[in-house]
Amino acid sequence: MAKIAKKTAPVSKNKGVMTAPDGMVILFTIVNRKKGDLFADLLQGFEVNFQTILSAQGTADREALSLLGLHDSEKAVIVSVLRRDRVNEALAMLEIKFRTVKDGKGIAYTVPLSSTIGVLLYQFLSNKKGGSLG
Amino acid sequence: MNNTKFEVIICIVNTGFSEEVMNAARKCGARGGTVLRGRGTANPEAESLFGIAIQPEKEIVMILVKKSLKNDILHALYKAVGLDTPGQGIAFTMPVESVVGLTVTDGIPTEDGKPKEDAKSTKK
Repeated sequence: MAKIAKKTAPVSKNKGVMTAPDGMVILFTIVNRKKGDLFADLLQGFEVNFQTILSAQGTADREALSLLGLHDSEKAVIVSVLRRDRVNEALAMLEIKFRTVKDGKGIAYTVPLSSTIGVLLYQFLSNKKGGSLG
Repeated sequence: MNNTKFEVIICIVNTGFSEEVMNAARKCGARGGTVLRGRGTANPEAESLFGIAIQPEKEIVMILVKKSLKNDILHALYKAVGLDTPGQGIAFTMPVESVVGLTVTDGIPTEDGKPKEDAKSTKK
């Protein structure tokens, strides 16, 4: 039902003294189930190293769905951990794709990630490797 | 930081009660939600202490709403599917920083019930 995308985004090449990213957010992207993999792949280009695709169901009734030009309520919820400095780019890309991809309409929103534990996990989530993280 | 006008309501209820969640939320102005299926894990001691049996199959309903509607919806959920109802639901909200993908037709209505033009995007 749920699957974890493997790490494919390129690791940051900057090996000098690095500063910690401003922060991280959790990005929820809700799209038609058939488009889940497509949007997950697109998001990996924004230094997203961890994302999970969950199967879900929309709750809009049939009349509302047809008004929106949608035909099925099978959804995919993509949960991605994203650096805050990449949020605007990622959302701009999603906004365009929601409009231009056939059956690609969806919504996306970010929720702040307040804490995590473990340097390795933090480096993995923020796609920063090596150097000294402040 | 949390200066957008949206919040996401997460409501976890026993399987089969997501419809009741949405009915209660819609009455207060919510438009749509997304239902995920999950499995609950409760502490058996707490179950006996509070005298409630936890059904492990759960539905998680995520509803994106305007901040101004949040309290009304939470109260409605508490009444309709609260812990002392068969739905045995809990609900909480999380702040939303940025949103894309909302349109006027599926936008969240304003307090007067009319969708607002600028509901299209609140990206910072």
